[in-house]
Amino acid sequence: MSESMVAYQCTSCGELHHPKHFVCRKCGGRQFEEIPLEGACTLVTWTRVYNLPEGYMKPFLCFGIVSFPNGLNVSGQLEVDEPEIGAKLQATVGVIKEGVGQDYVGFIFKEI
Amino acid sequence: MRREVGIVGVGHPRFGKSSVSFPDMCCYAAMEALDDAGIKTGEGHGVDQVFLATMGAQMLNRQSGIASGLVDTLNLRPAMAESVENGPASGASAVKLGYMAIASGMCDVVLVVGGEMMRVVSGWEGTDFVATMLHPDAEYPYGLTLPAFAGMFTRLVMNQYGVLESDLARVAVKNHENAMHNPAAHIQLVPKLEVITEDEDKDIINPYVAEPLRLYDMCPVSDGAAAIVLCAMEVADRFAKKPIRIAGIGQATDTHAIAEREVPTDLLAVRIAAQKAYKMANLTPQDIDVAELHDAFAILEIVESEEVGFFPRGEGHLAARRGDTKIGGKIPINTSGGLKAKGHPLGATGVSQIIEIVRQLRGEADGRQVEGAKAGLTVNFGGFGNNVVAVILTKEVE
Amino acid sequence: MKLAIIEKMEAQLRPVETLMVDYPAKYITQANGDKLVIRQVNREDVPHILQAVQPLMTVAKDFYDIVASRINSELLGWYRYRVKDEYCLLGTIDGVIVGVVNGRMITEKAGMSYHTMTLRQGLRIGAQLFAAKMEYHLDYLGQDEVWIVAESPNGFKRWMIEYELESRPEQWHELGGVPTYVLTKALWEKHKAKKCGGRRPVSDEMLIIAKQMILPETYSQIPGYVRNA
Repeated sequence: MSESMVAYQCTSCGELHHPKHFVCRKCGGRQFEEIPLEGACTLVTWTRVYNLPEGYMKPFLCFGIVSFPNGLNVSGQLEVDEPEIGAKLQATVGVIKEGVGQDYVGFIFKEI
Repeated sequence: MRREVGIVGVGHPRFGKSSVSFPDMCCYAAMEALDDAGIKTGEGHGVDQVFLATMGAQMLNRQSGIASGLVDTLNLRPAMAESVENGPASGASAVKLGYMAIASGMCDVVLVVGGEMMRVVSGWEGTDFVATMLHPDAEYPYGLTLPAFAGMFTRLVMNQYGVLESDLARVAVKNHENAMHNPAAHIQLVPKLEVITEDEDKDIINPYVAEPLRLYDMCPVSDGAAAIVLCAMEVADRFAKKPIRIAGIGQATDTHAIAEREVPTDLLAVRIAAQKAYKMANLTPQDIDVAELHDAFAILEIVESEEVGFFPRGEGHLAARRGDTKIGGKIPINTSGGLKAKGHPLGATGVSQIIEIVRQLRGEADGRQVEGAKAGLTVNFGGFGNNVVAVILTKEVE
Repeated sequence: MKLAIIEKMEAQLRPVETLMVDYPAKYITQANGDKLVIRQVNREDVPHILQAVQPLMTVAKDFYDIVASRINSELLGWYRYRVKDEYCLLGTIDGVIVGVVNGRMITEKAGMSYHTMTLRQGLRIGAQLFAAKMEYHLDYLGQDEVWIVAESPNGFKRWMIEYELESRPEQWHELGGVPTYVLTKALWEKHKAKKCGGRRPVSDEMLIIAKQMILPETYSQIPGYVRNA
């Protein structure tokens, strides 16, 4: 099972968005094309959280915001032992939360 | 032609742990505000509209239509009534709507009540409830929380501007010290700066919650309600105390997904909201004598103090080190104890901040009074800064 | 004057006690500068301590009623020589009782954690006392593991999740009914730096004050309560 994450590109002006918007932030356009959002990225900031919400039975989870070469910044879970701002990482897709009947998938950033 | 609006009554029971139901908690605050305004309850009360600010009463306390229920319980029928939800900025949003109701000419007297009862659920469920403000696809399913984003934001600000963990702790300690003079504050305990930052056991008593934020850098979980009575200035003579004028209101929104913010270390919505409020009030940051800035996390007080124009960008922590934001300093911030020590029942906070400024401008802030305060600013921060409401209050010139 | 047969019966009803090393008292500086002294108490102290525990036996909120009632019976059982190898650690601030933890040795190598109860809220005293009793089992009594159950969601989070306790549902815990979790030596070594603090020794002056074991006048859990009112 492999799912992919996508960015949404305005068909009028080419502006990239993630997550999904109904209206382009640059030109006001309403048509978007899905393009893959994956691969190499740079760590913008990170945290290690010890107080997790209901349903996450771990002592802590790491999260980060990364920057892709196409200019998009996204947040996700971080599986890196010693995170550092500026680190070069790989955006993977994995189970971020076990659900009932259906798991949630999303970005998990890992060391290259 | 817009009418002028003033605040003539305030009610602020102690925040902390409620032993009564959510609607009752709101009623107690409302009654205090009505009494403070000198409004006789029962027939002829004169209240045209009630706004109830709450983020979670539906989710946490499983109640809806509460504003309507409140009107009846307080016997304010047939006053108009609605609930207002804007996350942690519900309180200031409700005040904004109260202002608009009067300024438009539709109402003369509005009661605004803000309340939240968070301690009915476990810490887990509370964290999850607050996290529902986050983006439903890009953030919430990851287990991301408000503290997680506050932690990431703090790391960036520390990296860019040299803010230290001790700067955050210093702001928290200042607010706890202020709260000792506020009988309505949830936490009546002052942490010692050297203990929470340097003691060998600091990782035990002040552990990381969302690195680099520690336990004492973030506000507690509180129950509470607060209420104010607004009126058209032209009818203010009806009431017991001189009105405090709502001179300016500003509000702005920003991206929902925090990763999409244009400049990750900026709180753009705070800046725009404050600028709009200054413009409406025809004032500048230098005219403000006292401020309540939303400090759910200590880093927010520091950055907000810059974004509202009190200090240059990147120097808010230096100002705090100098003592500029203490009572008696250049621009006292969070004389009430802030969210950090006063507590943060989400829906009540915006109203509570405004009440503190009203008290300061009235000269009623015993033990924490800013001498001669004539203009005050509040910033109520919704989501993680994607919807911010700023309010400026001024004292009427004699 | 007891009949010889009753005295002989009493001897039979008493468990054989293992020699347990004393827990050396320590203190942890709290955020507000208060010094929390954690000290092992003796059997003779139990009737006095129960007076601090008992008011909470009727507070349903946050599971105080069940925890206080069970601590009451556990300490009483220890006092009346009917429980084997039980201990009790007391937390005091300025001599006032602020928290209680207890447990016992089941075997030389395995311990049974009983309860953790915070009387003075707001300083995370429970977490510090829990760590102290784990320290007692694993670092002083030389045990290999401690069996633990939780009665509240908060307890579950603080112990099962934060210490990453090993699930061992097939093993029965005396407090019964729910799956047992175990703190092994390996898990303790992994987590103790972030969980277990404190300075030793406690000065003579601080010990004298701690030994006063002053009963709290009021309880934030019981609005309106005043001792001996």
